[in-house]
Amino acid sequence: MAITAPAPAAGRSWLKRHAFDLALVAPLVLYIVGFTLVPVLTSIGYSFVDPATGAFPSLANYAAMFRQSDFHEALRNTLLITAIGLTLEMGAALILALMLTKEFRGQGVVRSLLLLPMGVPTLVSAVVMSYIFSLSGYANELLFRLGATAPVVWTGGGLTTLLTVVFADMWKVTPMVMLMLLAGLNAIPEEVYEASDLDGATAWQRFTLITLPMLRPAITMALVLRAIDAFRIFDLTLVLGGKTTPVIATYAYYEWSAYNNPYTSGAGATVLLVMILVFVLGYLRIAERGQEDVG
Amino acid sequence: MSATPQAPAGSRAPATRDSDWLATASRILFWPVMVLTLLLVTIPTYILVKVSISRPAELLTQHPTFWIWQPTFKHWEGVLGSPELWAPLWKSLAVATLTTVVAVAIAAPAAYVIARMPKSLRYTTILGLLVTRMFPDVLIALPVAVTFIKMGLLDTVPGLVLAHLIANLPFLAWILVGTFEMIPQALEEAATVDGCSRFEALMRVVFPAALPGIMVGAMFVWLNSWNEFTYAMYLSTATKTLPLQTYFYQAKGSWFDSAAYATVLTIPVVIITFALQRYLVSGSLSGAVKG
Repeated sequence: MAITAPAPAAGRSWLKRHAFDLALVAPLVLYIVGFTLVPVLTSIGYSFVDPATGAFPSLANYAAMFRQSDFHEALRNTLLITAIGLTLEMGAALILALMLTKEFRGQGVVRSLLLLPMGVPTLVSAVVMSYIFSLSGYANELLFRLGATAPVVWTGGGLTTLLTVVFADMWKVTPMVMLMLLAGLNAIPEEVYEASDLDGATAWQRFTLITLPMLRPAITMALVLRAIDAFRIFDLTLVLGGKTTPVIATYAYYEWSAYNNPYTSGAGATVLLVMILVFVLGYLRIAERGQEDVG
Repeated sequence: MSATPQAPAGSRAPATRDSDWLATASRILFWPVMVLTLLLVTIPTYILVKVSISRPAELLTQHPTFWIWQPTFKHWEGVLGSPELWAPLWKSLAVATLTTVVAVAIAAPAAYVIARMPKSLRYTTILGLLVTRMFPDVLIALPVAVTFIKMGLLDTVPGLVLAHLIANLPFLAWILVGTFEMIPQALEEAATVDGCSRFEALMRVVFPAALPGIMVGAMFVWLNSWNEFTYAMYLSTATKTLPLQTYFYQAKGSWFDSAAYATVLTIPVVIITFALQRYLVSGSLSGAVKG
């Protein structure tokens, strides 16, 4: 596929020379065009159609959507879950990854156990969390045995439910983030630490002056991948929060499946895409400039 | 925390000992934090199995028991003997397996070509594959559902396979580019010198050499499809997949059924994840698994 190769003999011979490669890569390209790019553009197209008049482009769906309290809530919940979840997950994953760089007895077993949530499908983790956080579930029973008098309503909406969702999400994905950070930690050469030992650096200095800066690429990768998935959160909130805790993905789903409205559903999904793009491009830009400390 | 309390380090710089609060704290807190984390990680999995073998009296009460006092396999007998399990199970198996086969057939040849591209074009292409990950499922699933209704593809295995390929093709192609990059080009050149056509060189030399990587990637695709929930929700009305069936029982409030279904759903995932553990630990793949 040497597109940069000199092409003095015009297009036909280039095509001929690369016919084999083109044939191998064509199905993938066609699939991505037909089943990703076209649907994405179609959805965005729906969102700008006025369902009453058929006019295009029109902002009618966005105007209607921004008047719905459901959508406001979904927007707020998505942002809160992403912000709180990412902070806690990155923090916990970093601590665990650092702990795993130590040598200790039973390391192999501990590491395998820590990866257990990766073997549990997200939906299943949501179902289990619904047992734990139901009204007469295990979390309340634990609190009761510790002396609490009234059970906590975990999944009735509001901040408590958001935190429950964050906990469930954290349970599932922290091992994954931990592995990404662990790979980054293992790539830091041992000599750097040895040199800092000779200089009598404290653990805090080693962490802030060596570990964090050298870990930045791994943190950026983990944060971007996690943020994309956190914005798109769907099954966890559907199972744990149902309609009491909408996020944008479930909002878009219900607009389509319950109200048969592809126009607001498309508008909701488009807003989600814009949020992801703004976050990812913004973060990469900031991270590239190196102005930001790790967060 | 990374300050491994090596004896030499401590003896070399005794002056910093008192002020090194972080090293002291991480030494004291190491096992308490580790034990607490291990409990948090393992308990939910235990509860899943526990619920599926609990007597109703241990569960449907104000104060559920933590220990399994009298295990019962009544729920399991009910679930295993029910057609409600087998139809979704077969559908999930068929969809995951077909998705994997088609994904390998499309992504492997393309990944080979991408791996042999000149550097800048290769990076651009890989970036393009990764960008598809930023599109929300709900954004793509909506027009796909609208089209599939017209084409009568709702509730069908081919329809769901087509949908599951959307996320898995770029993912698999991306993994396999790395695999093919590691196979020396000299290998296929030697084969063509020996009189093979490029196609023969690919089939007889390159793909066999890449087979271990292809197998690993294929297993990830199988898992992604087996677990998939969003597209299945959009594209199913009557026949469910196993994740949908689990969700259905959970939403109905039927703990024992949903626990048994969830366990069935989890078993192959746990097995494959642990089989693939050493590939996950390399880190490059771990971010790509969704589950």
